[in-house]
Amino acid sequence: MMNHAAARAESITKVYGWGDTRVKALDELTVSFDRGRFTAVMGPSGSGKSTLMHCMAGLDEVTGGTVYVGDEDLSAMSDKQLTKLRRERIGFIFQAFNLVPTLSARENITLPLDLAGRKADPAWLEEVVGTLDLSERLAHRPTELSGGQQQRVAAARAMVSRPDIIFADEPTGNLDSVASAELLEFLQAAVRDHGQTIVMVTHDPVSASYADRIVFLADGRVVDTMVDPTPDRVLDRIKKLER
Amino acid sequence: MLRVSLKGVWAHKVRLLLTGLAIILGVGLISGVYVYTDTIGKAFDGIFTDVYAGIDIVVGTESDFSLGEGTYLDESEFELIQGVDGVEEVFPYLAGLGVTILDPEGEMLASGPGPPTFVSSISVPPDASSSDNPGEFTIVEGAYPAGEGQVALDRGTAELGGFEIGDPVTVISDLEGRMELILAGVAVFGEQDSLGGTKWVFFDLPTTQAFLQRPGKLSGGSVQVTPGTPVDDVIARIEALLPDHATVVSGQDAAEEEAADIQAALSFFTIFLSVFGWVALFVGSFLIYNTFRIVVSQRTKELALLRALGAAGRQVRGIVLLEAAIIGAIGAVLGIGFGVMIAFGLQQILPAVGIELPTASLDIKPRTILVGLAAGLGITLVAALVPARRASKVSVMAALREDAAGPQQAGILRRTLLGTAISGVGLAALFFGLYGDTGSGPSPVVYVGVGTAVIFLGIFVLSPLAARPVTNLIGMLLERLTGTSGKLARRNAMRSPRRTAATAAAVMISITLVALASTLTGSIRGTIDDVLANDVDAEVIISPAGQFGDPTQGFTSEVAERVKQLDRVEDLTRIHAGWGRLVSETEISDGETQVDVLETFITGAEPNLADFLPPDSFQGTLRPGPGELIISTADGFALGDTVVIEFEQTGRRSFTLVGIVGGRAWAGIIAIPAADWISAYGIDQHSQVYVKAADGVGADELKAAIEPVLTDYPNIAVQTFEDLQSEAEAQLNGLLNFILALLALAVVIGMLGVTNTMALSVFERTREIGLLRAVGLDRRATRWMVRSEASIVSVFGALMGIGLGIFFGWALIRALADLGFSSFVIPWLPSSATAAGILGSLVFWLVATGVLGIVFAVFPARRAAKLNVIEAIAHF
Repeated sequence: MMNHAAARAESITKVYGWGDTRVKALDELTVSFDRGRFTAVMGPSGSGKSTLMHCMAGLDEVTGGTVYVGDEDLSAMSDKQLTKLRRERIGFIFQAFNLVPTLSARENITLPLDLAGRKADPAWLEEVVGTLDLSERLAHRPTELSGGQQQRVAAARAMVSRPDIIFADEPTGNLDSVASAELLEFLQAAVRDHGQTIVMVTHDPVSASYADRIVFLADGRVVDTMVDPTPDRVLDRIKKLER
Repeated sequence: MLRVSLKGVWAHKVRLLLTGLAIILGVGLISGVYVYTDTIGKAFDGIFTDVYAGIDIVVGTESDFSLGEGTYLDESEFELIQGVDGVEEVFPYLAGLGVTILDPEGEMLASGPGPPTFVSSISVPPDASSSDNPGEFTIVEGAYPAGEGQVALDRGTAELGGFEIGDPVTVISDLEGRMELILAGVAVFGEQDSLGGTKWVFFDLPTTQAFLQRPGKLSGGSVQVTPGTPVDDVIARIEALLPDHATVVSGQDAAEEEAADIQAALSFFTIFLSVFGWVALFVGSFLIYNTFRIVVSQRTKELALLRALGAAGRQVRGIVLLEAAIIGAIGAVLGIGFGVMIAFGLQQILPAVGIELPTASLDIKPRTILVGLAAGLGITLVAALVPARRASKVSVMAALREDAAGPQQAGILRRTLLGTAISGVGLAALFFGLYGDTGSGPSPVVYVGVGTAVIFLGIFVLSPLAARPVTNLIGMLLERLTGTSGKLARRNAMRSPRRTAATAAAVMISITLVALASTLTGSIRGTIDDVLANDVDAEVIISPAGQFGDPTQGFTSEVAERVKQLDRVEDLTRIHAGWGRLVSETEISDGETQVDVLETFITGAEPNLADFLPPDSFQGTLRPGPGELIISTADGFALGDTVVIEFEQTGRRSFTLVGIVGGRAWAGIIAIPAADWISAYGIDQHSQVYVKAADGVGADELKAAIEPVLTDYPNIAVQTFEDLQSEAEAQLNGLLNFILALLALAVVIGMLGVTNTMALSVFERTREIGLLRAVGLDRRATRWMVRSEASIVSVFGALMGIGLGIFFGWALIRALADLGFSSFVIPWLPSSATAAGILGSLVFWLVATGVLGIVFAVFPARRAAKLNVIEAIAHF
């Protein structure tokens, strides 16, 4: 079991605030993301899906329970160790503002490697960039790129260090349907062709249907899962869960 | 509208705090200087009122010379006063300079630069048991000095030397040599033990006249009027008897005049010190400008919303200006308070470092408050004007656009033209001030000052053009040290050239002045070294110790006579120096003549002077005979011309110009024969003796041979050129350190601008920093990213400042070339391994600003590193 999970959470709780304003974002939640799989996390606003991602990616601390990336326990790590973990073993794709405006597309892609003092594997970099159709745009600054291109640069950045796991937070939230489809197909291909592990937080049934498996959250708990989803089945399930 | 402004200030309180700080510091320095000098002025007022309280009429003299020793009255003239109707008593006195007091160990009492030592007669009051002496000084211990051999001192000096009544006191007269005296009495000035740290040696009148070699002469005196006689009538009667250069005023007027003289002397001090406050405010104005510019661009959406809700552009501008006014006013008020604290601090500190000035309760005049408020408020408003105008031009659409604060480059051509034009105007004013004939208009200093400020503005307008390439270059060097943090810092610094340039401009101004001071002192040092090494053909110089303080100070010829007898001496020459007025009459077209008077040094030269100062070139002769004169610059003169010189004591004399001399060592010299000099000044004293060693005798050996002759004269020193160089070096370093200490405030304000910009940038880039942290920038690297950017911007400012400072230094040295400033030295490297030597080097300041950038970015950097990653990413 442990060998199959790229990351897992064991009975994690996340509480914000104190007293009257106390909010339980995650409530003894247990989940496991399998290696080499594309998992979508869905749920209504406030269900805890973003918090789950933040906690599992080493961006936020859990109040209770344990988070593992591979075999490593995140709760025992210092900020420095977490930072190192993020740049070496985790990839990120955010909804917007993914890129450092002062750096070119290429510099953005290699940023985590530069920060770690490592060199990019040229063949791998070329393959990633080629697959994402970014070869012509590498010298450009983010402001000179379209929204879809920006998100593909972010995807390339997440891929290039060959992380254990990529977390994508509503990566298509700001894209039109064509650009969304392109990005999601690329993510699918990364999992299929290169065995990449991807966890994507989304509220869009169409996006979620690109995943191998969907984890449904509500009120900080896992309420359901679905394997090999289609948009229709996802919609049905959501309706059912909302009832 | 006020409410919107107030809320605006409150919402941005932290970022506006630093802006306020700049105003507080600048206004604080200005008002502190005012309060302190006003307080001293008030204290002197009190002293003089006190001193002249019992005096009806004061008789004195006036002189056309601003720097001379003053003129005298004859005793016979003064005796006439005794017979005037209504005069009860007359108390004459004579005072002058030219004495050195030795401490009981035989060394100079409190040697080194400081307030001068005076010689004065002191009058015995009619009733010796009464302390109500109508002189300025009153003996409060012991007795009035009587005859040769008896002396009195002011209490401050007596305490400094540990002298008690009856103790032996040794003094050295510049004219008469060493004297052993007995302390007869101790005097006070009004109720003060010391008058601003000056030292006073008192004799009875005949002894004073002999001491100063002014037999039968008086400086003036005080007159008691018969009770019931109107003072003004008596004044008129006395005036009718005395020569034109005598002044006769009531005691009250004399008190006011003396107080006014002190005020005038103080006002120079006030202006000099407050200049540094204005510089600090000028630097601060760039900080204010930049803060408002950034705040306005950050608030574009808010301002656009106001516009959408119906606010006119004018109203938006008003809101921003009102915010500026609120900050300016608060800063100014706090600054005035800070100034009072500075004045209080000076009052406590200066006596501790040996500067004794009379004290009174702090005098805060309405003028001080007005100037402080006007300065703080005015500077803030002017600096906020451009950002406010920009705010009023925010379009309503900006409220709806996603990315409103995008980079916008003003037309490069327009900027280049505008910046070049402004710089050109500044340059023109600068060079007009340096070389032009300002005539009856403002003084050259005003042209130079305003020109300099305008050049700063021009460079400020141009600097964004250089910001990208220069910060790129500095950043690339830094990137080698700090890796990816350095790269991000470099890109950030290049991101908004206008912001980078505006921040760097504040650093630039202070570093310009630092570099100017360093370049000037370096060039003066270079000139001195050069002149001593190449232009003077002698091994040692004998001169009064601490001669740089007063070049007309002199000593008796006995010393030179004894040195001349030494075996190791080949030859020597005595140089006399005193103030004279060069009178030139130019004929204007319609037969009228215009008389120009130039107060300058007149040198009394022995025939062999040219052997010691070999000239580069000359026309005519180097050895003026009786009634002849040689001059170093031929401005308006030709050989054979008659040159008229006015002497303070003996009036005008005509000389025939027989030689025109070229060469650095001669710069500024007007020389007449020594015999003529002695007769024109009425005294035989010289201020320097140049000595050549006999064959095979080294400078140090010669010095060692001369020293025993001087044991009786601790006030005279024999120095090799090496000694002179190190003495000059020490004095220049002292001067440089003093100026640097005053500029420190401007440097700090410039660096606060860096802090401010970095704080604003960190705030603006919250999301970006969050992203960087998420993808693996650790806290340490985040801190270094911010610090490195601050360092890059600071070094950019320092580079511009050093460049400008060198330029201004060059322009000044060129303008002063006539005075002998032949050497222009750019002090890149430390001149010595001492603190002062290092502080004078430009490379040090380049490195120091880089380090200061890091130090002043500590708080913004810490803030950036502590950002919560998730909140930062979600930040909008």
